[in-house]
Amino acid sequence: MALTGLEIYKQLPKKNCGECGVPTCLAFAMALASGKASLDTCPYVTAEAREALDSAAAPPIKAIKFGKDSVLGDETVLFRHDKTFYHPTTLLINVSDTLSDDELNAKIQEIKGLEFERVGLQYSIEGVAVVNESGDAARFAKVAATVAAAVDKSLLLLSSDPAALKAALEPLAARKPLIGAATADNYEAIVNLAKENSVPVILKADGLNALEELVVKATALGYKEFVLDPGSRTPVQTLANLTHIRRLAIKKKFRPFGYPVIAFTSNTEPMEEIMEATVYVAKYASAVVLKTSVKAHVLPLMTIRQNIYTDPQKPIQVEAILHSVGNVNENSPLYVTTNFSLTYYSVEGEVETSKIPSYILAIDTDGTSVLTAYAAGKFEPEKIAAAMEASGIADKVKHRNVIIPGYVAVISGKLTEVSGWKTLVGPRESSGIVSFSKSL
Amino acid sequence: MLIFGERINGMFTDIGEALRNKDPKPLQYWATKQEEGGAHYLDVNSGPAIPTEERVAAYEWMVNVIQEVSELPLVLDSTNYNAIEAGLKVCKRPAIINSCPAEQVKIERVFPMAVEYNAGIIGLTMDKKGIPKDAENRVAFAMELVAAADEYGIPMEDLFIDPLILPVNVAQEHAPEVLESLRQVKMLANPAPRTVLGLSNVSQKSPDRNLINRTYMAMAIASGLDAAIMDANDDDLVDVAATCQILLNRSIYADSYLKVFRSR
Repeated sequence: MALTGLEIYKQLPKKNCGECGVPTCLAFAMALASGKASLDTCPYVTAEAREALDSAAAPPIKAIKFGKDSVLGDETVLFRHDKTFYHPTTLLINVSDTLSDDELNAKIQEIKGLEFERVGLQYSIEGVAVVNESGDAARFAKVAATVAAAVDKSLLLLSSDPAALKAALEPLAARKPLIGAATADNYEAIVNLAKENSVPVILKADGLNALEELVVKATALGYKEFVLDPGSRTPVQTLANLTHIRRLAIKKKFRPFGYPVIAFTSNTEPMEEIMEATVYVAKYASAVVLKTSVKAHVLPLMTIRQNIYTDPQKPIQVEAILHSVGNVNENSPLYVTTNFSLTYYSVEGEVETSKIPSYILAIDTDGTSVLTAYAAGKFEPEKIAAAMEASGIADKVKHRNVIIPGYVAVISGKLTEVSGWKTLVGPRESSGIVSFSKSL
Repeated sequence: MLIFGERINGMFTDIGEALRNKDPKPLQYWATKQEEGGAHYLDVNSGPAIPTEERVAAYEWMVNVIQEVSELPLVLDSTNYNAIEAGLKVCKRPAIINSCPAEQVKIERVFPMAVEYNAGIIGLTMDKKGIPKDAENRVAFAMELVAAADEYGIPMEDLFIDPLILPVNVAQEHAPEVLESLRQVKMLANPAPRTVLGLSNVSQKSPDRNLINRTYMAMAIASGLDAAIMDANDDDLVDVAATCQILLNRSIYADSYLKVFRSR
């Protein structure tokens, strides 16, 4: 985003000396904003001003990469309908180093099982957060090594002891884990450890003022690969902090908060923990650390994450396959529609209401509606016939009738010809399916 | 798009007479009628109808009688800042000061007053020497007003930059420069200052004034215009303002959008 005249003016010396060739600093700021002058012609501009002006041109929230393809930050909006959210929240499972070896193995097995396939999409958990609660550096390093050996996922190593963190990190540096948390007490040691190993680091402080102070101090060490933790552990306070940080970074270009934020759940009751995590996923957390690793708890969270990070400008599609509604049998009717989710679910809902078990074939129309697809040549008889063939419907039913949307009645003759099936023209609106189905 | 109803102005015969006779009825009639037309603010201007020494008292009286019948916030329109201040003192809702040019002496008088009464300011892109012809100089004046607002701690949303439209029949070359100024003013600060025009000026002494007004308004809104001092009872003009809201995705579309626009 280009800088505004006012933002530039505030960084200028306000001497009005005219040495830049423009009579006043205000006019010079205007010339800079419109690209008609270069900052170099001002002999009095300070290094800090130059830095402020350079960094103001950078994206509002820095992208932080770690582990196995985890990307945090790099977001530009407060509401997904304004554009889209780009990088889905990275979910990590908390593993304490106080677990016994048996408990640790059981937890690792449970984490490995967190893979789902749902409505044609693959979901999986991205990472593991190994937390040093034992106070024992050797145990922390051993648990981290065990987890790293067992799972091929992004790692977060959390300890307040720089020596423990160093011991755990060094053998795993090639995995590029995220480490933390650097606090006001230990930030020099931990940020330098991160810098030496080129890994990102969490900066944790209690509240936004303290966090700003810590970011400024840590930046002075010459490193900028940060993830922020505003220290709050209640959902209300975390929601407020997440909102302030995102808003300041984007609306005010407040550089100290121009980094992704990590949130930690506080609820110990898993249902409540998942509700809490849902809030953080919806409201700007780039990473969330969960205690539960039970499949039934994690699946809804992954589903909502997938929904929230969907690009709202692109039509949502259902799988372009043969769907079935109810206990289908060899007499079940076959409806054809498009794979635009709004269209498909309108049809599915009505077919369900008809209480007649049926097949619905969703044609791949790039997620466009029936008339849009027809107008764009994406819902043509040849294509429908090919999809019918590929779906294997001929082996599933003994009849040879296919029902098409009433708005495209015009293709019925051609579809009959190319598919060899009898084409029945259904109602124009899906709301007519219930009464139509009784006439079959 | 904010509509500042222009009709309560001593330049109109009925208002001028009302001011001289201290008759509140014409002011109250136009306050109500403009509100019905779709006005969001009411511009209040005594014009030259009453002697200078009576203006301070006149503004206080005008604000009071208008507020008896209308809840709309007011735009206090005068070059006499004492008169404006008298009006601000009795305004029930935050008002807008109309106006302040980019002159240091006037900025020092007007901006602190705006802070004191929590008022907005219409800032004119001109100084003592007059109205610049090109967009570049208009924007330079706008920048001075923006810097002043920042210095006095006035939110950018409360600063309305007026790039000063002139009649198209005698100052035709100004119209495109004003459109360009509207575009550039939006880039001066973040959040951007708001913008306003004395819209009816564009068509002074031309035939088909309404056509010129509404065509220019649509062009100006697309260039970044946020408010206009205009005829709130020109239905075609208000319809254009409402339609622009829809086409710029500022209000959510409904079939009844013209009605919705007037109801708020």
